[in-house]
Amino acid sequence: MSSEIQNVNPTILNAADLPTRLRTLESRKSHSIESALFAGTLFSPGDSIDLPIGSYSSAGSDSEGDLLEEPIDEQEIYDLISTISDPEHPISLGALAVVSLPDISIKQTLPEVHESPLRTVTVLITPTITHCSLATVIGLGVRVRLEQSLPPRFRIDARIKEGTHSTGDEVNKQLADKERVAAALENGTLMGVIAKMLETCQ
Amino acid sequence: MAAQSAAHITLLSDLTPPSLERTWLTAPHPSLPIVATCSSDKTVRVYSLTNFRLLSTISGGHKRSVRTCAWKPHVQGESVLATGSFDATVGIWRRWDSYGRADTEGESWGLLGGDRTSDGGDGVVNGPEADEDDEWRFAVLLDGHDSEVKSVSWSPSGMLLATCSRDKSIWIWEDLDDGDNNFETVAVMQEHEGDVKCVVWHPVEECLASASYDDTIRLWREDIDDWGQVACIKGHAGTVWCLDWEAVGSVPSSSTTAMSDDEATRLSTQLKESRALSGPRLVSCSDDQTVRIWRRQPKEQQQPQFGGVTGVPSIIRPTGTDETWEEDAVLPKMHELSIYTVAWSKRTGLLASVGADGRIVVYEERLVDGSTLSMDTDSPDPDQKTTVSTEWVVLGVVEGAHGIYEINHVAWTKRADRGRAEGKDEEVLITTGDDGGIKVWTIER
Repeated sequence: MSSEIQNVNPTILNAADLPTRLRTLESRKSHSIESALFAGTLFSPGDSIDLPIGSYSSAGSDSEGDLLEEPIDEQEIYDLISTISDPEHPISLGALAVVSLPDISIKQTLPEVHESPLRTVTVLITPTITHCSLATVIGLGVRVRLEQSLPPRFRIDARIKEGTHSTGDEVNKQLADKERVAAALENGTLMGVIAKMLETCQ
Repeated sequence: MAAQSAAHITLLSDLTPPSLERTWLTAPHPSLPIVATCSSDKTVRVYSLTNFRLLSTISGGHKRSVRTCAWKPHVQGESVLATGSFDATVGIWRRWDSYGRADTEGESWGLLGGDRTSDGGDGVVNGPEADEDDEWRFAVLLDGHDSEVKSVSWSPSGMLLATCSRDKSIWIWEDLDDGDNNFETVAVMQEHEGDVKCVVWHPVEECLASASYDDTIRLWREDIDDWGQVACIKGHAGTVWCLDWEAVGSVPSSSTTAMSDDEATRLSTQLKESRALSGPRLVSCSDDQTVRIWRRQPKEQQQPQFGGVTGVPSIIRPTGTDETWEEDAVLPKMHELSIYTVAWSKRTGLLASVGADGRIVVYEERLVDGSTLSMDTDSPDPDQKTTVSTEWVVLGVVEGAHGIYEINHVAWTKRADRGRAEGKDEEVLITTGDDGGIKVWTIER
């Protein structure tokens, strides 16, 4: 990877404008910003997924009964990936609008098989510039983050949003290739870059 | 897909213990009732198909995931396994077939038939696993690829080993069999424009087929000491993950419609003759969620014909060893996501496919009654029946065969446990999944 910065002056969104359920819940609870800052240390990434906020109280009782309940929604996915850092700026993917809530969707993977628990999470990535050579790395970072955090019944479809990248199809083919992704995860150099991007995730 | 065509695909057993990490592929041994499973944990596990237990674990050879493996055919008294890894190397492993010779051990491998069914116990105390773990000898490491090795395949004679990689190349190695584990590089083919995902040799000829990330299938033959591409098949709209050949001389025996036995036999014979000219067909599966079958044009038909029977004169006239392959069939669409493996049974002609949607699908080819055809085509001419047609039907589907996990591989092999029918060559399917599990399935008609 070249050390030359490709987009020297990216547009950065105000953190307060980013959608997050975590913040609204915290502020409602009459604790101030201070406790919100600590929120990250109170819940491990695993907890925040398996026991989403709002279902804590009833988590024990419904876990067997209500299979139709979908505890993981688009906002959860956004919370998981928006805090990933851009590989070339110390700024989050959320703040750079590389990932955004409307570009995340969760669907039944096999719609005609009603009882199937499989869900496909589609994340459309908008690179900051159309020729960003780091698009693949960003996509891989998103995929790795979700694969590590979500239960295995989720299929991750991280792709470049149509028309936002000059070689989008090429990048998408690579990101969708299970074998290539598996091999990338065993590549120390690449995983070093990904680990750095994920450092800022709660 | 009609009810009368249904077959029951039933789980016979898991191979235990499973790998704790993703397993990629399971290769059945050509003669012994054992299989080798490649895992992301960098090992290969050898399981018994007689008692479904782990026999030994081959480890220490590869630095990354073992992606693929293949047993060398026609080796006497010894088993030879080639393994391909994400670490870019190919390993060759050897082990004396002690169990195949000693009577007591042969029994535990199910080689002596069902003569022990009376003892009632299904214990595995006689399993040879205890003291054989270290008997796999690492013979040689084949170094040449620049990146992950994706597939390895031995030629029908066992003389040649083909390997392919993300580096877009295919290497052909000759096993010199000099007792010193020497391999010689015979050819390096670099025509593919993307990762080569799969290589598989023709069942009897020295012809290699390869499938790639560039969406093509290519065929390779040796022509006067030089290996080269003889065909490039385009048709899939995504990565071609896997290929398999049909057995030589395979033709369907059953039909989709009511047809007298005589009629079926006549059609079957006719089909056999026309297929003998084109040779075994190829099946492929892809990221585009289709399974396709390809047929080679018989050589004489490739030459320009007098009077242009087809009406379309061939502009690109195949020369020398070039072959023209055309699509023979697209199988009924049964998968929702990428299809990773398709396996063509050499015994029964059945096809099985598996993929990211967790399904196992089994298909059968059937003869189609010529009379229904002529009604469709509006040509009542009885001489029209020069081409016998067939149709692929779905025999059975297993949904979520590995639970919520993707299935990476499927293979056909002979059933070897005590539950098999006496004196019958029963077949089982072996599936390998992301859960690290390997499952054995029976097909009942």
